[in-house]
Amino acid sequence: MTLSKPIVLAEDNPRDAELTLAAMEEHQLADKVILCHDGAEVLDYLYCRGSFKTRLQGNPAVVLLDLKMPKVDGLEVLRTIKNDADLRPIPVVMLTSSREERDLAESYALGANAYVVKPVEFHQFLKAVKELGVFWGMINEPPPEGASRTAGRSA
Amino acid sequence: MSTDEPNQQQTLDTGVDAALPPPQPGSQAATPRSFITSALRSVQQRSIEQRVLAGFGLVFAGILVISVISYRNMTVLIRNGQQDQRSHEFIQLLGAMGAAMDDAENGHRRFLVTGDESYLAAYHTLQERAPEFARYLRELTNPDSSQGAHVTHLAQLITQQLQDEHNAIELRKQTGYEAVRGMALAGVAKASLDAARKLQAQMEQEENNALAQRVIESTSTTRSSIILLSIGALLLFVLLAVVYYLIRHDITARRRIAEELHRRGELLEAANKELEAFSYSVSHDLRAPLRHIDGYASLLAKATAVSLDDKAKRYLHTISEAATRMGQLIDDLLVFSRMGRQEMLRGTVNLDQLIAAVLHDLRHDLQDRAISWKIAQLPDVTGDAAMLRQVFVNLIANAIKFTSTQPNATIEIGSRRDGPNDAVLFVRDNGVGFDMQYANKLFGVFQRLHRADEFEGTGIGLANVRRIIHRHGGKTWAEGTLGNGATFYVSLPLARPST
Repeated sequence: MTLSKPIVLAEDNPRDAELTLAAMEEHQLADKVILCHDGAEVLDYLYCRGSFKTRLQGNPAVVLLDLKMPKVDGLEVLRTIKNDADLRPIPVVMLTSSREERDLAESYALGANAYVVKPVEFHQFLKAVKELGVFWGMINEPPPEGASRTAGRSA
Repeated sequence: MSTDEPNQQQTLDTGVDAALPPPQPGSQAATPRSFITSALRSVQQRSIEQRVLAGFGLVFAGILVISVISYRNMTVLIRNGQQDQRSHEFIQLLGAMGAAMDDAENGHRRFLVTGDESYLAAYHTLQERAPEFARYLRELTNPDSSQGAHVTHLAQLITQQLQDEHNAIELRKQTGYEAVRGMALAGVAKASLDAARKLQAQMEQEENNALAQRVIESTSTTRSSIILLSIGALLLFVLLAVVYYLIRHDITARRRIAEELHRRGELLEAANKELEAFSYSVSHDLRAPLRHIDGYASLLAKATAVSLDDKAKRYLHTISEAATRMGQLIDDLLVFSRMGRQEMLRGTVNLDQLIAAVLHDLRHDLQDRAISWKIAQLPDVTGDAAMLRQVFVNLIANAIKFTSTQPNATIEIGSRRDGPNDAVLFVRDNGVGFDMQYANKLFGVFQRLHRADEFEGTGIGLANVRRIIHRHGGKTWAEGTLGNGATFYVSLPLARPST
């Protein structure tokens, strides 16, 4: 099993980013991770603009979104993705510290594909990130390119 | 009306009760003032509804009294008017009668002189009409009054006159003028006629006196009616004003209370929002640094696995453990805070099913444990099923935990009635128990009676139990002896039997 598509990780906290990457490292997933420091950067990546103007076309395997981020927060990014016919098929996993009911409810209402609370304990955190990376990056079959258009039109 | 006045006074002075000085001992005014004060106080103690009702009661009583007196006065005036009418007729009739008697006497004398019978017309008229006159007069007078007696007397006098005149006429017819010459000159009925005239004058005088008396009476009745109606109207106006004031005062007070309630509701909502934002921030921001501490400590341990000695490894391990524990405490605190805010979904809860489900959930904690369970049949209660499940999870998990050192653990779950509407449920174990002098600390947040290395836990479980039971309107308490088991009680409202 090899990962062909990148994983977009939206994480404004450099320590969380480092720890997440360290976890990914364990399964040789780290080099596939595109790290974005806020919501705006995620959107830049998805729409191939700004610093990602020259990137290879195509949607990522999964977007791991933090809820609380500067500029554009996680829910806003999620809303944008799920309201765009081209982006809607991208799996979005909320990866956050919040276990608040309203965050859960709102995320699922907006169409999040999964919701993971970052465990405080590092070993559990490692496990969670690893499993996420393995599942969405390797086990899960991503939607085919272009399929989104027909899906979008019919929606 | 006068009996209403003290009440009136009370109602008017209701607002100034507090301003009244206390009665001075030994002073002259002490007795009435203390009476007024106590009366005022008794009015003050009445509810607004009772006061308004009393006000309206006084108004209606006033209207009733005024109506009765007015009716009586009107009756007097109408009766006097009728009697006046009769008096006038009476006087008129007397005059007519007197004239008829004079005419009869004069005509009869002319006949005696001339023998011309045409002069007897007036006499005959009187003769015919005398009974009629008497009847009319009797009708217009009260037979028992002095006028009644006068009427009888007058009738006799007329009869007498007619008799005398009749005798004279007969004599004139039989014997001629000479025999009655003296009579003709002097007049036969002069005596009775004079008496009748005198009597008529007296009767007229009496009737006029009665008339004058009645005019005075009517005038005074009318005047007193006007005064009474004015005073009554004034009092009613004042009473109505007082009632209006009371109602308005009450409405204003109620409006103020409603506004105050609304304001406090808004404050409470704002406070709740703030609390929510706070716990959200705790949930999101406090956990991140803890994750970093544990994460980097773990990474450090891994990076230095070869070079560090055991002591240094233990330090790193302790850092990780402390961070993890703080994460657990934060989670517990958030759950505790959510228990207080979460909306309750009340329904009938079958405790037997709930306990069975809880034991199923706890089956992993029960592995390798020999516990003898005594579970009685429990009543249905009213409450939020999810919250009550949390209560029994905590209580039963505690019982399992604190009997872990006991080779023959026994856990008993039972209930008893507490009054008609409540049930007391208990979970009893024969575990380590506790010292009753710390009983009040058991249900506090993060309060623990055992060292962390004896029994694990953050000390939030019983605090959650108490919070949930309080939100159901129940109570929590515990009994125990050190080393000899504990019993935890919760009271809950019984389910209403479905009808």
